Amino acid sequence: MKILTIASRNVFRNWHRTLVTTLAMGFAGFIMILFASLMQGLLQASEKNAVSMDLGDIQVHSFDYLEDPDLYKVIKDPDLIITGLKKAGFYAAKRLYGFGLISAGSASAGIQLHGIDLQAESGVTQINQHILKGSWLEEDDPDGVVLGRKLARTLGVSPGDELIFLGQATDGSMANNVYRIKGILKSVGEEIDRTGVYINEKTFRELMILPEGAHEIALMRPDRTTDLAEATREVSRIAAGYETLNWRELKPVIARILDLADSQMIILVVITYTAVAMLVLNAMLMTVFERIRELGIMKAIGVTPGQLMLLVYAETFIQVSVAALLAVLSGVSLSRYFEHKGIDLSSFAEGASFGGVAVDPVWKAYLTPKAVAVPVIFLFIISFLAVLYPAVKAALIQPVKAIRHR
Amino acid sequence: MKLGKMAWRNLWRRKRRTYITALSIGFGVLLSVTFTGVADDSYTKMINTSATMGLGHVTIEPGGYNETPSLDKRLANASSIRDVLLSMAGVNNALARIMGQAMIASANKSIGGAFIAVDPVEESGGLNLFIRSIVQGQVFSGSDGQGVLVGARVAKKLNIGIGKKLVYTTTDVNGEIVSEIARVTGIFETGVSEVDGSMILLPIDRVRKILGYGPQDATLISIVITDQRRVASMRDQIRSRIDDPDLEVLSWRETQSDLASIITLDKAGNRIIQLLISLLIAAGILNTLLMSVMERTREFGVMMAVGMSPSTLFRLVIMESIWFAVLGLILGIIITTPWYIFMHNHGIDFSGMVGNDYSASGVLIDPLVKITMYKESVTGILTGLFTLTMLSGIYPAWRAGHVPPVESLKEL
Repeated sequence: MKILTIASRNVFRNWHRTLVTTLAMGFAGFIMILFASLMQGLLQASEKNAVSMDLGDIQVHSFDYLEDPDLYKVIKDPDLIITGLKKAGFYAAKRLYGFGLISAGSASAGIQLHGIDLQAESGVTQINQHILKGSWLEEDDPDGVVLGRKLARTLGVSPGDELIFLGQATDGSMANNVYRIKGILKSVGEEIDRTGVYINEKTFRELMILPEGAHEIALMRPDRTTDLAEATREVSRIAAGYETLNWRELKPVIARILDLADSQMIILVVITYTAVAMLVLNAMLMTVFERIRELGIMKAIGVTPGQLMLLVYAETFIQVSVAALLAVLSGVSLSRYFEHKGIDLSSFAEGASFGGVAVDPVWKAYLTPKAVAVPVIFLFIISFLAVLYPAVKAALIQPVKAIRHR
Repeated sequence: MKLGKMAWRNLWRRKRRTYITALSIGFGVLLSVTFTGVADDSYTKMINTSATMGLGHVTIEPGGYNETPSLDKRLANASSIRDVLLSMAGVNNALARIMGQAMIASANKSIGGAFIAVDPVEESGGLNLFIRSIVQGQVFSGSDGQGVLVGARVAKKLNIGIGKKLVYTTTDVNGEIVSEIARVTGIFETGVSEVDGSMILLPIDRVRKILGYGPQDATLISIVITDQRRVASMRDQIRSRIDDPDLEVLSWRETQSDLASIITLDKAGNRIIQLLISLLIAAGILNTLLMSVMERTREFGVMMAVGMSPSTLFRLVIMESIWFAVLGLILGIIITTPWYIFMHNHGIDFSGMVGNDYSASGVLIDPLVKITMYKESVTGILTGLFTLTMLSGIYPAWRAGHVPPVESLKEL
């Protein structure tokens, strides 16, 4: 306890230096907390765009449908499986996929047609709320379609315009019909933005002549904090005879980016904190050397080397603690602010994507305990490593020499 | 010049402190070079890769095409424009292409996709990513044949291989739906699954016929330049050279805005980190100089008492900070050079961590991280750190000049 008192007095003896050192450390911690929470926000948004706008948690397909998406490779008894999944607590929706060409005026584009079970889909994804212009599909409007963002731009169309679809139905005949654009989606990901066209399930079945079956069952866990792998195994038991994959397996690139985020953050923190380390090292080295006589006297009157080392560490600890407090207070409050307000990137980051998943035009922070803990813990670790040399130096002082030191 | 000598000697009164301060500046050089160099290298790679995915660094296209790229918009005299471009310095090559959307179908399946129609005689791997990424077969010969080059996932989805037939359907200049048969001569794999799953390459003269284009028509001219950093000035030069109000001359920032926004985003993050590191280094220098001034209060008092003016003392301390900067930068160059040589020639391979298929805005990111420095980045870093060090000297120098002589002499 005495050591802390002495240390705190020592810290204030040269308040200039203490102020500069502490503020610099605090500032570094502040930026790192802000950076970490912004990083988390970006990743959360990517995961949201991938999972709750498109994939769902887990998907069921007929074997090798994903390898070779064929109109004929259907899940034969989707309703039976969905009933089973619902019993187990999952939200599940069937989806149908077809390919074709749509044209509007003189522009045309190859597209992927998504046949959607509107009611069930709203339990699985939030794509129905992800509308840029116009509105989402409605049950009693069979000829309405919703388009991906870049597709709408390529075709030069907006809600209200007409489209002609041309494709091949299951019986080999030409599927051909006119639809009206109801809405245009916000960015979801490269594939949907460029080629996604959504229509009602019933309309899809009539158009492609596919009265029953489904190409995909997408489902969402009731509680997203539960173990995904466990849930995947449970689903594969219910949907025996079909291929069950979770979103991490479906989009390994995104899963990898999310997994790497922590180690990336630690690398960044360590690199920037090396500059902090030099600052602390120099400051503490100065305090040791300008007090060398004093330390020598302390040693001469019986203070042990261990206690001297502890003293240097206590002085560092006080400064790092104040710095950490400053960093947490400022970092958390600014991160909170960006959690609500977000940074508007729409002027220059429209349509950007990572690993095929869209970056949200409004970048919000997401404050996790980790985003605060990693910068703070490493601030302590790096500073303590940096003062090892001055502390050892202080401990190894030879009293007689030190007292004579000028 | 005595002041310089005096400052230099002052620096060495506390050797250890000087070494650490200089080392922190040197470390700043190392970090700045790493951050800037990695970014410059990866941006250049991404921009150059993207430029060979159809649109080039600079694109000449009909007005309005960039907004809504439909096939009825076209350039009538593509080859004469091309001749003008090829005579310009800084232009590596210029190619007339037709790019559009199509439905691609095999016997029992169809997918939505996109095509680029090219002249195989003019194209090469260096100018065309898809030709560079061929994993099976080869480019079709002749610009009027029935060959087609398909993406690996297109081939998989349609269940076709080399020698097999596919049908592509699109709209012609009049908005009529037209179809044509083609035979697969080669398969490419870029690694970006969205591209491999939708892109095909077709012979340009055949596509001209199908679409009802004239023999010189194209939807755009894709220009690859030798140095991507000069793209803005190249675009302006080309614009004034072409001088046709019906045509648009755009840089990749405009035609490939997705990539531009990812790079802008990444650059902003990079700048913040570099700024933070600079501030930390500045705080370290400030600390050192401030301490060295404060512990010499008495000395400064004596100097003033014997007739030195406050401004001389100010200059003395500034001179010390300049020496710090010089020392730090030299140290920085010494520690950075081997690192740079290693990172520039070998780099670090991150493919084990991120995989080989990590893309941003549809452009593959090379997992082999290397460093490339441009002259302007080097001078930027050196002058930046030099100025920073000098600036951190101002407050300590000001304090040195404001030591009240009598009082400071009273101190111990």
